[in-house]
Amino acid sequence: TGGHTTEILRLLSCLSESYSPRHYVLADSDKMSEAKIRSFEQKRAETFSKSQFSLDRIPRSREVRQSWISSVVTTLYSILYSLPLTYKRKPDLILCNGPGTCVPVCLSAFLLGLLRIKRTVIVYVESICRVETLSLSGKILYYFSDYFIVQWPDLKKKYPKSVYLGRIV
Amino acid sequence: FRFKESLAEELQSAELVISHAGAGSCLETLEKGKPLIVVINDKLMDNHQLELAKQLHRDGCVLYCNCSTLVETLQSMNLSALKPFPPGQPEKFASFLDKVFGLQ
Repeated sequence: TGGHTTEILRLLSCLSESYSPRHYVLADSDKMSEAKIRSFEQKRAETFSKSQFSLDRIPRSREVRQSWISSVVTTLYSILYSLPLTYKRKPDLILCNGPGTCVPVCLSAFLLGLLRIKRTVIVYVESICRVETLSLSGKILYYFSDYFIVQWPDLKKKYPKSVYLGRIV
Repeated sequence: FRFKESLAEELQSAELVISHAGAGSCLETLEKGKPLIVVINDKLMDNHQLELAKQLHRDGCVLYCNCSTLVETLQSMNLSALKPFPPGQPEKFASFLDKVFGLQ
């Protein structure tokens, strides 16, 4: 959604074409990100002609202010969609930055890793908005990600297993 | 106007921006070098928006307030005291990922 999409496209901006094809996963209710992504990829194709990408949608895991209990239910429902999707794409790398949508995708990849079907490197970059506390997605994925990147030093102190590279968006 | 794709044009011609504390809005505005007043939305669940606004304020890059103190802020603001906001460095992220995958 919105801010998350802007941030993640900035993260992608300096990546080489080794990181291709790119599969974007969006929440079904997200109306604005698709245009931003297409615009980004279109520009990218001007430099890297063989550039490839795809867009998939899954049910949104959680609305803002949704209660704990119903969030678990809706997240489980999203996993029903993200599991076959992740199995189909078998990504080498999952890059995410915090919208609820990333939790089912990462958990699916983690599960496929446990089942020895595909080992995916999960890289989580906490939003630049998060200076002192982690988002809910961050709190969960701190334990499931291979690399957990924070953008402010306070978070590095509180979450010692995280990586601090300064501001990267 | 609500869901215009990009506010870049409007931002370019603005002299002052008053915005919510969403990362995209803040970053876009600060990167264009426009003075920014951030207004916090008290109703979002854990109000994490406050964290970024507070930090940017600590760094001297923005003014911040909530809906009820906006008028007061507009009346007493000193925009020339705002500091420039250095850009983020996504190249550091690319470099980090390249090391992870042995791609240097």
